[in-house]
Amino acid sequence: MILLYALVGAGVVGCALHMMLSRNLVRLLLGVSLLSTGVNILLFVAGGMGNRQPPLIRAGETQLGDSADPLTQALILTAIVIGFALTVVFAAFVLRAWRTERTVDGRAVDAAERLGLPRQEDDA
Amino acid sequence: MVLLLLLALVGSITVPLVARVVGRGAGLIIALFPIALLAGFVRMADTVERGWVRGEGINWATSMGADLTFRLDGFSFLFCLLVTAIGALVIVYSGAYLTGKPRAERTRFFTLILLFMTAMLGAVLAENLLVLATFWEATSILSFLLVGFDNRSARSRRAALMALQVTAGGGLALLAAVLMIGEVVGSFSMAEAVERASEIAAHPLGAPIIICLMLAAFTKSAQVPFHFWLPNAMQAPTPASAFLHSATMVKLGIYLLARFEPVVASVPWGRTTIIVVACVTMLVASLQALRAEGFKSALAYSTMASLGILMLLVGLDGPQATVAMIGFLFSHAIYKAALFFCAGSVLHATGSQSLRSLGGLYRFLPYTALATIGASLSMAGIPPFLGFISKEFLFQAQLESSWDITPLAIAVLVNAVMVGVAAVVTLRPFFLGHGKVTSVKHRETPSLVAPPLILALAGLTISLNPDWITRVALRPAVAAVYGRAVEVEIEVWHGITPMLLLSIVVVSIGALIARYWKAIHIRLNGLERFETHALERRWDLLQASATRGARIVSRWLQNGQLPDYLLACLVGASVLMGAALWAAGALPRMPADVPWRWDAAAVAVIGLAGAIAATRASTLVSAMIAVGLTGFAAAIGFLLNGAPDLALTQFTVEALLVVLLTALLLAVPLATPPTRSRERGWLDSAVVILFSALLLVAVIDMAGADPVRRASDFFGEASYIAAKGLNVVNVILVDFRGFDTLGETVVIALAALLGRSLLGQRGRLDVAPERERERHLILTLTARPFAVLLGIIAVVLLLRGHDQPGGGFVGGLVAALAFAVLSLSEGPTATERTLRVPPMGLVGAGLLLCFGSGLLAMAGGAPFLTHLWWEPTVAGIDLKLSTTIVFDLGVMLVVVGTVLSFLFGLQREAAR
Repeated sequence: MILLYALVGAGVVGCALHMMLSRNLVRLLLGVSLLSTGVNILLFVAGGMGNRQPPLIRAGETQLGDSADPLTQALILTAIVIGFALTVVFAAFVLRAWRTERTVDGRAVDAAERLGLPRQEDDA
Repeated sequence: MVLLLLLALVGSITVPLVARVVGRGAGLIIALFPIALLAGFVRMADTVERGWVRGEGINWATSMGADLTFRLDGFSFLFCLLVTAIGALVIVYSGAYLTGKPRAERTRFFTLILLFMTAMLGAVLAENLLVLATFWEATSILSFLLVGFDNRSARSRRAALMALQVTAGGGLALLAAVLMIGEVVGSFSMAEAVERASEIAAHPLGAPIIICLMLAAFTKSAQVPFHFWLPNAMQAPTPASAFLHSATMVKLGIYLLARFEPVVASVPWGRTTIIVVACVTMLVASLQALRAEGFKSALAYSTMASLGILMLLVGLDGPQATVAMIGFLFSHAIYKAALFFCAGSVLHATGSQSLRSLGGLYRFLPYTALATIGASLSMAGIPPFLGFISKEFLFQAQLESSWDITPLAIAVLVNAVMVGVAAVVTLRPFFLGHGKVTSVKHRETPSLVAPPLILALAGLTISLNPDWITRVALRPAVAAVYGRAVEVEIEVWHGITPMLLLSIVVVSIGALIARYWKAIHIRLNGLERFETHALERRWDLLQASATRGARIVSRWLQNGQLPDYLLACLVGASVLMGAALWAAGALPRMPADVPWRWDAAAVAVIGLAGAIAATRASTLVSAMIAVGLTGFAAAIGFLLNGAPDLALTQFTVEALLVVLLTALLLAVPLATPPTRSRERGWLDSAVVILFSALLLVAVIDMAGADPVRRASDFFGEASYIAAKGLNVVNVILVDFRGFDTLGETVVIALAALLGRSLLGQRGRLDVAPERERERHLILTLTARPFAVLLGIIAVVLLLRGHDQPGGGFVGGLVAALAFAVLSLSEGPTATERTLRVPPMGLVGAGLLLCFGSGLLAMAGGAPFLTHLWWEPTVAGIDLKLSTTIVFDLGVMLVVVGTVLSFLFGLQREAAR
């Protein structure tokens, strides 16, 4: 079971990276989102997923009984939110690139390169 | 002494500001500062005169041996006097020389000159070798800035770069030598290193140390084959040339080798190397001095020849060599600086400095002509000038040394050339060739003539009345270099001696050279193959090929292709992981398996299928749906495996992503024609599969590691007792690790700021009103109630978060989802109106709440982010009020504000 989840996590990461290797910026963006999901699954697996009991203290008790690891979940929770924020920021970048350059081909977005090489005047 | 240095540093930065305010005469005011420093040093003359060494220091990084220690002995003292006195004259002269420049430029020049002066003082006062190397490099950098002072001229830039590369390269050699000395001796004390000279020489690192020291000295003091930077450095403004490239900085190399003479002399080849290099330098310099056409370049090559003489004297043994070295160093600094000033005045007045086209200038520049005569007589070694005495010393040292006649013959020749050059630079521009110059651009001013006249006069008065300077500077300096006191007799007339006869020979040959200068000059100029030019051209070629190589490498490595960068990162990471696995040499630890469940397995497989579908999707919409599928599958997977909080968050995030990305997809073209070549596709797949496989192994190993749950167990035990929360995940987030969460919240708020600048409402007024929206009946009818429902859910999630699944993050996401639904139906503008406050306002308020909730406890003396509890009973109901809820509310507001600012921004931008 754990092996299956690990395989799925690694597979999702692989697919995400394959999408990120594309020149299309939107595919790259979707890849980033997918990568975030894949890495979270891997974190979940690495944290040990043997126990299906949510880490909630049962009513009437004062200590957490046998349950899943709360620390892993706290980590992943913030990771989900940060990954989401990253995706959204990147979406904003892509949209601006589209607006200014009329292209989503990463190779064609070269505003920085167009500024020229430093010391170019030496060639002249 | 340390105080003086500190004063020099502070003053160098502040005093030149005078030139911003005062126009004419600023040089005179600023010159008071180096004069004050000179006075400060003269006050220490008593100590030096007695042969004492004054040490001062500040403990800084003692464990690393890097203490800021300084010491003042006779040799340092001589340099300090020269540096501050000539520095003051340079400042006075520059004030007049730079009249045409704007005030900002002049201020910059004064600052650089004074900073250089400080760096020189630091270098000659340093006792810790690391400090010495630091100040040494500082002089190189300031020389670079001064040579390239006229930074709009390509020649200046080239010369500056050349000077920097050669001298700073030597500086690196010095640093290497210093570090090796530290390795051998165990400390960075110069005194200790010199004391244990034989030990250093016997050590295996001894030869590298000595070679590095020599490299540093030869580059700095322009010895062949590193000499070519010095003539080029004459691109600097003339006062800077006078100061750096003749009087002071180039003598640092002499200073270094003189200090380390015991070390260098401990190996048999040490002195020989120095003497050979010095002799070659002298010969090359003399020939070049005769070839030179410009006033300044003739002086530059004669300076190089003088440096060769000094280097030779460092290499020769015997006390008389040290006496001659000190004497010549002193007299040369004085007359050469004066001659540079005169050359500068000629350049300033006529705009030309060609020795062949100038003539008859004494009518226009009478005082400069006078100063040139005085300085040239000293340079030619005519009695009773100081130069005569130092030349006597030189010949005496050579006659007394254990070396054969060759260096002496070369020295005679070189001195003769110097006599010739002195005569040529005096006679040709000023006295011969009447009528060649008919008018001058600038007349002499007191500030232009006073510095060279003072120096020329000093060359005469010191030799006639040498008592004070011999007592406080020359004799202690010789003692400091030689290691014990040596009698120094400064006297013009010693009777008929071999030295006097040699002097007569020198002057006669010099007179012949001066007589036939033009013929010799033209003949030598005809010779194309001159070694210095070969070296210079080689340097140019090296520069060009280095630049070209760098360009090729960066074109290849930094080609602007994002996929290539990513691929390189993946390959690199794979290599690292693979190497780590290989090094471990063990199979991964297998985790204890958990019972197979078909539901969880099916969800996982669906997730993977979604990811694979995403990579194969031909349009972006289907790719987005496939990515969403994986996301939802992950959420269900979390839910089935005991992580309801994660599931909630993941669900909401996926829903929000759909809304946000749809806005983007509405704007961009949806079709994604394949862009990779077939081979590139295979390569990408291979690298990705390799990387994922390694990742898989690593994760399995991590999961199989012995569970270390100490932190988790603590959180589980303390969650209710200490933090009154039943949902341990939430308690960790808001309480135990509240500070981390605060940081995370700030990151999200920063993302909101970034979004605002990317999707900012610039020119909002110009934006055409939103297009009439096509209203979908069912959506319009249901959106509002649905949004209200989601809003209520969000509040409930927030409130119950401490005890049950929920909390600020997920509450914020759900609340944002409520508005997202609304904006889908009514558009961003109407939704923003419903929201009533701008999203960034929510972000700000949320941050304030987060920080405020943590500050509250500080009023009671507890640490930041200690949460407070208040449990009153109102109307029979037990209430649990806490600052944790305030903190969580802050997180929620930040999340809502951020998501909404992006949502509205994206929707508006996409709809344009």
